[in-house]
Amino acid sequence: MMTTATTIESGERPTGSTPQRRTERHVPAGVLGALGLLTLVVVLELVPRVGLVDERFLPPFSSMVSALAQEAGTSTFWAALGATLTGWAIGLTIALVAGVVLGIVIGSIPVVRAATSSTIEFLRPIPSVALIPLAVLLWGTDMKSTLVLVIYATFWQVLLQVLYGVRDVDPVARETARSYRFSPLTTVRTVTWPTALPYVMTGFRLGAAVALILEITGELVIGTPGLGKEIGVAQSSGAVPQMYALVIVTGLIGVVVNLIARWGERRALRWHPSIRAEVG
Amino acid sequence: MRASFPAVAGAAAVAVLLTACGSGGSSSPGPGGTGQAGGAADQVKVGVIPIVDVAPIYLGAKKGFFEKRNIKVSMDSGQGGAAVVPGVVSGQFQFGFSNVTSLITARSKGVPLKIVAAGNSSTGEDGKDFSGVVVKADSPIRSAKDLAGKTVSINTLKNIGDTTVRQSVKKAGGDPDSVKFVELAFPDMPAAVEEGRVDAAWVVEPFLTIAKQQGDRVIASNLVDTFPKLQISTYFTSEQLAKSNPGLVKRFTEAMDESLTYAQEHPDEARDILGSYTKIDPAVAKELTPPLWETGINKDSLEMLAALAAEEKLTDQKLDIKQLLP
Repeated sequence: MMTTATTIESGERPTGSTPQRRTERHVPAGVLGALGLLTLVVVLELVPRVGLVDERFLPPFSSMVSALAQEAGTSTFWAALGATLTGWAIGLTIALVAGVVLGIVIGSIPVVRAATSSTIEFLRPIPSVALIPLAVLLWGTDMKSTLVLVIYATFWQVLLQVLYGVRDVDPVARETARSYRFSPLTTVRTVTWPTALPYVMTGFRLGAAVALILEITGELVIGTPGLGKEIGVAQSSGAVPQMYALVIVTGLIGVVVNLIARWGERRALRWHPSIRAEVG
Repeated sequence: MRASFPAVAGAAAVAVLLTACGSGGSSSPGPGGTGQAGGAADQVKVGVIPIVDVAPIYLGAKKGFFEKRNIKVSMDSGQGGAAVVPGVVSGQFQFGFSNVTSLITARSKGVPLKIVAAGNSSTGEDGKDFSGVVVKADSPIRSAKDLAGKTVSINTLKNIGDTTVRQSVKKAGGDPDSVKFVELAFPDMPAAVEEGRVDAAWVVEPFLTIAKQQGDRVIASNLVDTFPKLQISTYFTSEQLAKSNPGLVKRFTEAMDESLTYAQEHPDEARDILGSYTKIDPAVAKELTPPLWETGINKDSLEMLAALAAEEKLTDQKLDIKQLLP
């Protein structure tokens, strides 16, 4: 897991030493990205129009867009969007806080760490979706049902990263802190936390995406309020363009969430060599 | 109608255990209320599925039929009805909407449920029902008899779909046991028929209209072939609520009956209300055949479905329908 810190700046590998030089030599990544997206849109528009797939089952992109415009004019849509984002944010926050606190506690105490590792390895791979029947029994179609799925799935992402982060603490630094009789809290603040932070941010970024996936899944399968439920209603109403329109919205949320997560990561790790190297 | 039965029954059984253990902690504000004489209105949550069949309750709520009986009704249209039966048993919902066969099988497994009001029924008119078996325009299948040896898609195996389609085949003189059933969601059926993945599909509205619009032919009205005006779904409650608050149940039944009658007499308003809880294309909503919304529990129909459930081995022995009746 030593690679974790370097994956932070995955995406753009610095080929040239300065941004200007890069744009001179290559087409900027933004343009390429837009081009890729445009191709996708054109393919989506043409495939049904040409008749490769039936228009009724995969409508052309333009009719998805007009369905989206129509959806955007309804209060149901905005309420659903709000519910999805609220559920996502609450779930992610709880998972993040719980993951960080428990990760640091478990990771800092070798005995606890040894005692819990097998349990963690057992619980972690349980797909959150498998908990749906249990959640439905306990909370029905209440928002809590989906929240539990989101927290469960996201928590492990964060916890594991934090555990790796704590393990990465330089033993010399830790021994030094002990020699100076730092209190446990001070040790965490000055030694463990700075080392673990890049890992925490990776966990945050992974968790943000996973939380969104589970939020939509829960809404779709359980029927808790949100965009997922609206997708389900559109499906069971035979409203195909609306269904795809809502799917597109969830995709867009995913893009925005990822952008925010990366921005947060950069800000929090401004001082970290992996980020500084990219700028310098 | 979408919920697969074993899931519902299994989930319901666990729900019973959970509530028996006193966990779950679902202290819904509603049913304990005294309600009757001018007090605060009873908060009632009804678990439904967002389909055409439940239009009357939405219409009735809009018209104030519940309010005037001191019931503040709200609908929870959880996707796939799997959550409805457990929801009612555990008290998250005071009432629920479910197809009768699922209620029969759940009750025969000891899930304490009571039917309180009619939901929807088949219109009883061959070719003019809200559901039917469709085939592709150029299919060689001409009648239900030709379904022998063919693949028919239904929404849930071992439920009302296969039971009634077999009745159609039997009635037309074919071999009902040679029909192969596959499970598909209603929304996927028009495409499956179109692409030849299945030979025929049992669909309900709005997918019947959508299938017809793509040129499919209706070859059988399986519900009509099973029983005249077969009662497909009903509203139900838990035995516990039926005992602890009979007054509320009675008022709910009255409000439901008024809603059903109103929806039946005002089909245009019923079509309009669809837009409030589904996303059915208004053009389709105008075309589709609504089910029959009649009041009262159709005991003969219930008896018939209980007998069929036993015959098809969905239940170990024929359920005494008195257990489900109020």
